[in-house]
Amino acid sequence: MATPSKTPPGSDPKQLERTGTVREIGSQAVWSLSSCKPGFGVDQLRDDNLETYWQSDGSQPHLVNIQFRRKTTVKMLCMYADYKSDESYTPSKISVRVGNNFHNLQEIRLEMVEPSGWIHIPLLDTVNNPIRTFMIQIAVLANHQNGRDTHMRQIKVYTPVEESSIGKFPRCTTVDFMMYRTIR
Amino acid sequence: MTVLQEPVQAAVWHALNHYAYRDAVFLAERLYAEVHSEEALFLLATCYYRSGKAYKAYRLLKGHSCTTPQCKYLLAKCCVELSKLAEGEQILTGGVLNKQKSQEDIVTEFGDSACFTLSLLGQIYCKTDRLAKGSECYQKSLSMNPFLWSPFESLCQIGDRPDPEQIFRLTSLQCFSGGSGAPSLLPISPAHTPSHNMPHRQVDTVLMETPQDTLELNRLNLESSNSKYSSLNTDSAMSYIDSSVISPDTVGTLGTGGTLLSKQVHNKPKSGRSLLGGPAALSPLTPSFGILPLEPSPGEPLYLQNYSHSGSGMEPPPPGVPPKKSVARISQVGTKSVFAQSGNSREVIPIPFNQTQTTAPPQTSTTPQVLSPTIAAPPNVQPRRSSRLFTSASSTAKENSKKLKMKFPTKIPNRKTKSKTGKGGITPSNLNESIEILKLDSSMTEGKVNMGTPQFQAFSLQKAAADGLMSLMRDIGRGYLALSSYNCKEAISILSQLPSHHYNTGWVLGQIGRAHFELAEYMQAERIFSEVRRIESYRVEGMEIYSTTLWHLQKDVALSALSKDLTDMDKNSPEAWCVAGNCFSLQREHDIAIKFFQRAIQVNPGFAYAYTLLGHEFVLTEELEKALACFRNAIRVNTRHYNAWYGLGMIYYKQEKFNLAEIHFKKALSINPQSSVLLCHIGVVQHALKKSDHALETLNRAINIDPKNPLCKFHRASILFANEKYKAALQELEELKQIVPKESLVYFLIGKVYKKLGQTHLALMNFSWAMDLDPKGANNQIKEAIDKRYLPDDEEPVTEDYPYDSAAEVEESQESSMTDADDTQLHTAESDEVL
Repeated sequence: MATPSKTPPGSDPKQLERTGTVREIGSQAVWSLSSCKPGFGVDQLRDDNLETYWQSDGSQPHLVNIQFRRKTTVKMLCMYADYKSDESYTPSKISVRVGNNFHNLQEIRLEMVEPSGWIHIPLLDTVNNPIRTFMIQIAVLANHQNGRDTHMRQIKVYTPVEESSIGKFPRCTTVDFMMYRTIR
Repeated sequence: MTVLQEPVQAAVWHALNHYAYRDAVFLAERLYAEVHSEEALFLLATCYYRSGKAYKAYRLLKGHSCTTPQCKYLLAKCCVELSKLAEGEQILTGGVLNKQKSQEDIVTEFGDSACFTLSLLGQIYCKTDRLAKGSECYQKSLSMNPFLWSPFESLCQIGDRPDPEQIFRLTSLQCFSGGSGAPSLLPISPAHTPSHNMPHRQVDTVLMETPQDTLELNRLNLESSNSKYSSLNTDSAMSYIDSSVISPDTVGTLGTGGTLLSKQVHNKPKSGRSLLGGPAALSPLTPSFGILPLEPSPGEPLYLQNYSHSGSGMEPPPPGVPPKKSVARISQVGTKSVFAQSGNSREVIPIPFNQTQTTAPPQTSTTPQVLSPTIAAPPNVQPRRSSRLFTSASSTAKENSKKLKMKFPTKIPNRKTKSKTGKGGITPSNLNESIEILKLDSSMTEGKVNMGTPQFQAFSLQKAAADGLMSLMRDIGRGYLALSSYNCKEAISILSQLPSHHYNTGWVLGQIGRAHFELAEYMQAERIFSEVRRIESYRVEGMEIYSTTLWHLQKDVALSALSKDLTDMDKNSPEAWCVAGNCFSLQREHDIAIKFFQRAIQVNPGFAYAYTLLGHEFVLTEELEKALACFRNAIRVNTRHYNAWYGLGMIYYKQEKFNLAEIHFKKALSINPQSSVLLCHIGVVQHALKKSDHALETLNRAINIDPKNPLCKFHRASILFANEKYKAALQELEELKQIVPKESLVYFLIGKVYKKLGQTHLALMNFSWAMDLDPKGANNQIKEAIDKRYLPDDEEPVTEDYPYDSAAEVEESQESSMTDADDTQLHTAESDEVL
């Protein structure tokens, strides 16, 4: 059996943000973890710092729950995992579930092999539109080298930006148009 | 008692005039501890206030009884600054709940400073939502003192339409009765109404002065607020300012004038109240302020000189002659001029004055040769002359003059008259005249009858200068009024007609920049604002508009440079933080932008634009409730802030509450009727409400107002498209293509129209152009349009390629759709080949 190729790192989501097509909405959600080691919890997962991480402290699967106040359109999820620094703590099998509450989650499964950076997980429905959901659950089902606990360095949730100034049209591209789009 | 106080008081004023606040405060505290008089209390409070500690002044005055008008005024001012509006109002009018004083009562109580009191009261009323009363107060304040700009500005901002022609006019009463304020200009004190007709009388009274009176007069003069002296100084060899003054060569004087101006301008803000008395006696030589017949010299620099004079509040000697006289005197008085400038030195002054008299000759030697002989001649006489000339009738020196008034009631009016006539422009006027007047003076002191002509001349020169200023203020007032009613084109044309030395100032250019901004002419606005930055890099007012202009133009480098510069320069100004917020908003870092806008609000909760910008940021982060609250706050602060009304309309539009959206947009439009962007939005909302005819009408109006607005045409085309008027829509879009050839939306809409018309090739072509032009768009709508276009069609080979492409696009949404579009072309080519 051929060795599965390593998962290539994705681009830095910050650059994505600057295009103005997506917006990070993790701050609008309530984050919770199934377990964590003291000092390695949600804050470290959401602090924009790749040096700090979440370390779980229980049995698998380890869960990250993201609950929004209202049904939110989510386009994609970005996770940072690095095999070189985390080794056996690096997740290898992740299941992303979305739904309205804990009891009706639908799954999107993902497998990673020795990731070394950002992983972009698009969350699209059957017609390739971003999904609208109340909550997202990220379950770490297995780690590399069968490690028990997992490290996750950063997770970001993105929603598409509707450039709706007025009218149901897509965003305009030239400055000339954009100047007149809105009064500020 | 007063005798004991005077040297100390003089020392305190001296220190204040030199911004040595610690010294002033210390001395004032000792004086107050020694003498618990209300005057000493006022002096101490003034020291605290001027050194920037309004809270100290407030607590001090609160703790003791304040019955004198000046104490009350200062206390009220502190209250307003500390946002204790109810208290301020109570002090000035006797309270919200109690029986209130009428405006007439206030005028009689506060006398000279009534115009400022009323202006302050107007501020209080406007901030507490009693705009009608506030407007009344402002009007009254302006009628008493037309030199005040801020009541006029406030009236424009609350939506009143004051008439600058009526307001900026010197009534004869004011000219001749001195009224309140504009001490330097008004030749005659209020008590002195008939005197202007009788310069002789003044002379007579002057003649009757005894040497002792002279000393008192000196004190008075010196006590009066600055300007006059400074004006004198410009001409004369003011020892402390610039000795190179008087020369027959006007150029020389011009030079000094310039330097003096810079100093004077410095003095102006610092001297606080004493300098508030309007720009008054401006140079008669500038075109703006009227060229006095006396002096053929070029206007501007001399104007500056005079400006500085008036600014300092010291009464300038009568133009022509007096400057010379003052030269002599000033050179002698050396140190005295310093006091004079500060305007409130007391006892101290006469003494050095006397001393300097003896040293006059060496100093006067610096003055032009013509004067020196005359000056040297009667040294003993000169003090008296100067005292006469330097008497100030400024209201700022009210406390001084009051005291003196008590002692020398008859003399004061005379002094005032004389000093006022003396004001005029300090021009290096005819030396002959100066000599003549000097001789006259000496003759006067000797008991001879003075002709009074020089004073009369001086007086008319002064009047001409004041008229010049008034005419400038009328022009500026008209321009500002037009801008406040958003008649931007008119405002620009009025303000552009100002003389170039006024046009090229930060304030005027800032207003013009704002006018361009409101017209959505962002390129011109940006040019003008960058000029403002070049001329006055310290100007923060108006920079928030500049930053929004750069935001619209998406010039992030310029915007971040501006933001850094302003936040480094002044962290306490809301404008700087608004600029910073705009900078980060442009970088799409909305959380940081929100932080900065909140900071701007903290720094100044009365700055409506900060709330509006914060609201826009919340809209961008989809926190609509918070955004609503912000816009409502902005409206609370300033009802005429049409941007906030627009913001509310936008939120209701997003929430699909189209009726509410329309109402709010229309309210914004009622405030700013010439905004094509607003009209465009109303049109779209009306279309959403199914009132397409109205929508088209509105859009036509918008296009008429501003033919350069491409979005109006675009929306008109889209409404025509929605109403199935495809040909008209296409025509519109073709025109639009010419105007904005690189806009992907245009091609997208054209594609849709062709699709509806069944012309698939053209539709496809346009869609692919649209995709090309929108590389990072990942515009689902365009892709969807293409997908849908081809899903129902089964037979064409091309279709096989498209689902393939769209799937690929979906998976790698981040990638440039450029490549996808290319792929599309390739596939079409291949499929053609296949065929």
